[in-house]
Amino acid sequence: MGSNLVQYILQDSGIFIEASLVVYLAWTGRWKGQGAVAFYLSSLVVAQLTRACFLHEYGLKSLRYYYAYWSTDLLLVMSAFGVVCLFFRRACLREEKMWRLIRLFLVFLSVLVAAILGVSLSLNRHDFFTYFLVVFNQKLYFGCLVLNTLLYLMLHRMNSADDQLELLVCGVGIQFAGPAASLALVQLSNGGRFAEFLAYQTIPLCTFGMLLVWAYVIVYVPKTAGGLARRDVPLPAVAAEESKL
Amino acid sequence: MITATFVLVFSAALFFFYIQVTCEKILRRQFDREYFQSVVTANRLEFPSLRKSLEEFGVPVDYPRLRMMLKCDFLALTYLLKNSANVKQRYSNEERLLILYCRWQFLSLAARHLLKFGEEPATLRLASVLQYFANVVGQRVNTMQFGNWTAADFLFYL
Repeated sequence: MGSNLVQYILQDSGIFIEASLVVYLAWTGRWKGQGAVAFYLSSLVVAQLTRACFLHEYGLKSLRYYYAYWSTDLLLVMSAFGVVCLFFRRACLREEKMWRLIRLFLVFLSVLVAAILGVSLSLNRHDFFTYFLVVFNQKLYFGCLVLNTLLYLMLHRMNSADDQLELLVCGVGIQFAGPAASLALVQLSNGGRFAEFLAYQTIPLCTFGMLLVWAYVIVYVPKTAGGLARRDVPLPAVAAEESKL
Repeated sequence: MITATFVLVFSAALFFFYIQVTCEKILRRQFDREYFQSVVTANRLEFPSLRKSLEEFGVPVDYPRLRMMLKCDFLALTYLLKNSANVKQRYSNEERLLILYCRWQFLSLAARHLLKFGEEPATLRLASVLQYFANVVGQRVNTMQFGNWTAADFLFYL
């Protein structure tokens, strides 16, 4: 009963924040330049609403909710991959040469993921929901997490002045890292009850954390004009003194 | 098995890393002036002197006293955040996140003290969160009390 209540609260408050953010973006006309955020928020709303319907209709421990949960999770992981790609595009807005290279890498990665998905699906057709989907989602979450960390390091190395993007990337990092860790724990404990319970609580909690960070970014952090710009490197003290003379 | 263990360790580490980075990014918010000075003076808070002694002179403070000083400042500032010039008498989401981060840093400080390793960075991080809280309180009081009044206007109507 207790875990059911927590699940309901997390689910409903998650939907509330997502819907509020979508409405806020539409109301203030900030869709422009926040395409990735809007895209991911919309897929979150769709997934959460589907889950909420199944949860209220069939309950937390029903098989149908289980199927609905993991199927929508697959949708979310796919959209997450798309979001990271869009963030890469935003980071390379003024670096066309670099973007060409990154685009090639991302296309290669997408083809690789599709191929792995196809092969694993043909091999694990019988235990699709019980094993395949959980493991596949965990791997894809982890892949997205690595990709997101690469993006964070790239922003750091480029000395990016786009504070908004950096915080958005941190939010996505929280969203990917928690589920990847908890799903790995589920796999390590061979589907142990405690690990599954932890995964059920961690995933919505991490989404909740990401939404709070995104809400903070959208409402409080101003967007840097023209996407990514490099922070001006401060002049060394001696050079500054000489220029005064 | 090995892959799952690697994923678990790496993801858990990255989870805490991203939380830390997010909190530090929020703490780096620039205020138009140093509001915290007046709050520190009015409430006799001790974190700035503690930070100064650690940063400039590297003077170690005994752990029970250090913990007590930081804890008292934390309690005073969280009370002020909630009750001083705050019409809603509620923390904002950003403040809640930073309060959680602060509690985490207190735990980290206790663990570091037990392990006798790297107490100074944790103390400095705590001091920077407290300074941020003091800045928020100072800014709020400044905006609420005086509105568009200048100091001269205020004195004139006294």
